Amino acid sequence: MEQAPPDPEKQLKPATLEPLGRPDPGLEAVAGEEAERAREEGSEADTMTDNNFGLKKIEISVSEAEKRTGRNAMNMQETYTAYLIETRSVEHADGQSVLTDSLWRRYSEFELLRNYLLVYYPHIVVPPLPEKRAEFVWHKLSADNMDPDFVERRRIGLENFLLRVASHPILCRDKIFYLFLTQEGNWKETVNETGFQLKADSRLKALNATFRVKNPDKRFTELKHYSDELQSVISHLLRVRARVADRLYGVYKVHGNYGRVFSEWSAIEKEMGDGLQSAGHHMDVYASSIDDILEDEEHYADQLKEYLFYAEALRAVCRKHELMQYDLEMAAQDLASKKQQCEELATGTVRTFSLKGMTTKLFGQETPEQREARIKVLEEQINEGEQQLKSKNLEGREFVKNAWTDIERFKEQKNRDLKEALISYAVMQISMCKKGIQVWTNAKECFSKM
Amino acid sequence: MAGGPPKALQSTGPYSLRDMPHPLAGSSSEEAVGGDSTPSPDLLMARSFGDKDLILPNGGTPAGTSSPASSSSLLNRLQLDDDIDGETRDLFVTVDDPKKHVCTMETYITYRITTKSTRAEFDLPEYSVRRRYQDFDWLRSKLEESQPTHLIPPLPEKFVVKGVVDRFSEEFVETRRKALDKFLKRITDHPVLSFNEHFNVFLTAKDLNAYKKQGMALLTRVGESVKHVTGGYKLRSRPLEFAAIGEYLDTFALKLGTIDRIAQRIIKEEIEYLVELREYGPVYSTWSALEGELAEPLEGVSACIGNCSTALEELTDDMTEDFLPVLREYILYSDSMKSVLKKRDQVQAEYEAKLEAVALRKEDRPKVPADVEKCQDRMECFNADLKADMERWQNNKRQDFRQLLMGLADKNIQYYEKCLMAWESIIPLLQEKQETK
Repeated sequence: MEQAPPDPEKQLKPATLEPLGRPDPGLEAVAGEEAERAREEGSEADTMTDNNFGLKKIEISVSEAEKRTGRNAMNMQETYTAYLIETRSVEHADGQSVLTDSLWRRYSEFELLRNYLLVYYPHIVVPPLPEKRAEFVWHKLSADNMDPDFVERRRIGLENFLLRVASHPILCRDKIFYLFLTQEGNWKETVNETGFQLKADSRLKALNATFRVKNPDKRFTELKHYSDELQSVISHLLRVRARVADRLYGVYKVHGNYGRVFSEWSAIEKEMGDGLQSAGHHMDVYASSIDDILEDEEHYADQLKEYLFYAEALRAVCRKHELMQYDLEMAAQDLASKKQQCEELATGTVRTFSLKGMTTKLFGQETPEQREARIKVLEEQINEGEQQLKSKNLEGREFVKNAWTDIERFKEQKNRDLKEALISYAVMQISMCKKGIQVWTNAKECFSKM
Repeated sequence: MAGGPPKALQSTGPYSLRDMPHPLAGSSSEEAVGGDSTPSPDLLMARSFGDKDLILPNGGTPAGTSSPASSSSLLNRLQLDDDIDGETRDLFVTVDDPKKHVCTMETYITYRITTKSTRAEFDLPEYSVRRRYQDFDWLRSKLEESQPTHLIPPLPEKFVVKGVVDRFSEEFVETRRKALDKFLKRITDHPVLSFNEHFNVFLTAKDLNAYKKQGMALLTRVGESVKHVTGGYKLRSRPLEFAAIGEYLDTFALKLGTIDRIAQRIIKEEIEYLVELREYGPVYSTWSALEGELAEPLEGVSACIGNCSTALEELTDDMTEDFLPVLREYILYSDSMKSVLKKRDQVQAEYEAKLEAVALRKEDRPKVPADVEKCQDRMECFNADLKADMERWQNNKRQDFRQLLMGLADKNIQYYEKCLMAWESIIPLLQEKQETK
């Protein structure tokens, strides 16, 4: 696995720990699956990732969430949730782990970490964070960030994020990430000192490049389209799924009314009474079963959401490529024009219009010394330009190569994860059907005794 | 009826009349159920209407095997019911074969009524006539008129809001046919009503309209006299049992109304759920078109959701066609029963008033005048008929609701089984390792 491409423009390189050997591709797969399991098991199980922090195996978990109040930057009271991150190192062969670090972080710190990673690893599809605000909610679900269910799902999402980073062959080695897990105080200052905010490409620059680039790598163009369409289709899916959940909730809950009326009716009946009464009870069971069913389905929605946000990360890599390519094209164009200017000055022919040429015509020619001086300046610039173009070219190719490697890795991960998600969704549906059959069979039994 | 699943839902096999044991032969029929089925002494007064008059411990037969919850094949409808407890049936009536008639003035539907009988009242062993709803309505009015002391089964609703319901749609016609079939079967099973002259004519006459125009109806002795009972008499005290029946019917109708509303609400929610599902499934298809390795799994999920949608649609259709109409029928039934109870009250009130008048006259003659005797007679007949019919009604109601609710449960079970099958079948597809990327 290659490191991040060297970038002469960056003043401070993130200090990476010396890799002690290449990570085994097999471990990657294991970590991916475990990340999956982590999401399902929640806080109970600590999840293991093979992480080469100096050949130590570590386990990361976001085990608790706590409501806190404090003062914000404007010295106003605010309420926020803090999450406990526990890191364990697995010392012995039998898998026993020792708690090495434990600290509290809030969502904004996670965001800071991710923004840092985005700037310093533009060729990597950086794992996304769980959503900041609850979206795609169906009516029973709260859109409140303080709602315990939301907080719980977010805790799981944050843990998943950390596991994804920790299991990424390149990202796991980042020092800032390491410090995020181990250094509670001062971490924010450390990150800001890297000056990464200044390195970030401006949105405007990126947009401009997207429109004006002439020859981007076709694969990236296709990937860009794919990620746009993926975002659109998953958004649509999540929206409709939320409506489906809403309706299904209604269907189940109305059946609860049967429970009440059967009970009332049974009071005036002789032989029919018992059967009606007990059937009514089953209707109540049926009505209340939907809560758990839909809660489980939220996990599926979260898995889809992760890939919705991943699409954005894919997009970011494509944008970076376009930016670099545009930069390259501009530099080449600039160089070509300078070369031409130089040639014209040297041969004395004016093929291209230039203001200098016009003024020369109007106000008289310049002296040969002046011209020599200008040619010299241009030749220096051309030299410099050629150097720059060379390194930009190299950079560009490195980027494309590294990015594409990570994209391939991402594709495999995506296919695996989404397949698993679909399977677990099907399993959920099967369980729901079986429950339905059970309840109605019980009710039928009661009716038969009427 | 013994405990356990009702045998009414299954066919007993095509027994012919000859194979059925004679009611008086062999061992006694199955035990009576509960305390309210023992026949009262009044009822065993033979009124020379044939052996159909014998009240069975069960109080009668369930309302035919063609209740909406079971499959309505012709065979089922003509088969003997287990619950008859061995009685020999001698009258079979079926409603089927709806046909649309287009005339200049109007368009309407007729139904074929097939009658098979060995009774003396029928000249031929078999009849086949065509009747329309109007004719059923006429029959019912005539029965109410001529047998005012009995509970007449309800007809499906007469008026339908045009534009909302298509009177000629297959579903509507089928629902109505089932209800009309039920109506005739209930009359057929009634020991008194089934011998009514109007009923006979309805089943047999080639030209019913001519008969209708005659206007001459032969009322029974009791019917005639009850017809002339005027209102305006105040009831002293209602006998406990009839008061109880009245209260029961009130609550019963109330509860049924609630169940009807709940069922309608459920159908509405299910339809809205269906609408969303129909949008949900295809999104997976759209997604599938973007993907490589995931294309098949996503397409599979889309198809699966499509299958579940279809199953849900079948469920809501069944609920609308089979469940709701029967509920409504019973609400109508209790309404008409309430009016019969009122009439009974009036008959009693008249008798009491007349009795009081006699007592006030303070005559020496101990003899009770003839007309007061007539009143008493009338009242006692009415009470007896009504009690018998109530018992019969209670048992039929129990069978009907057992069947209806089991049918409801069945439909839901079938729905979930269809969905289960769909989802289970795509698991292997989802788990498949794909060679191509």
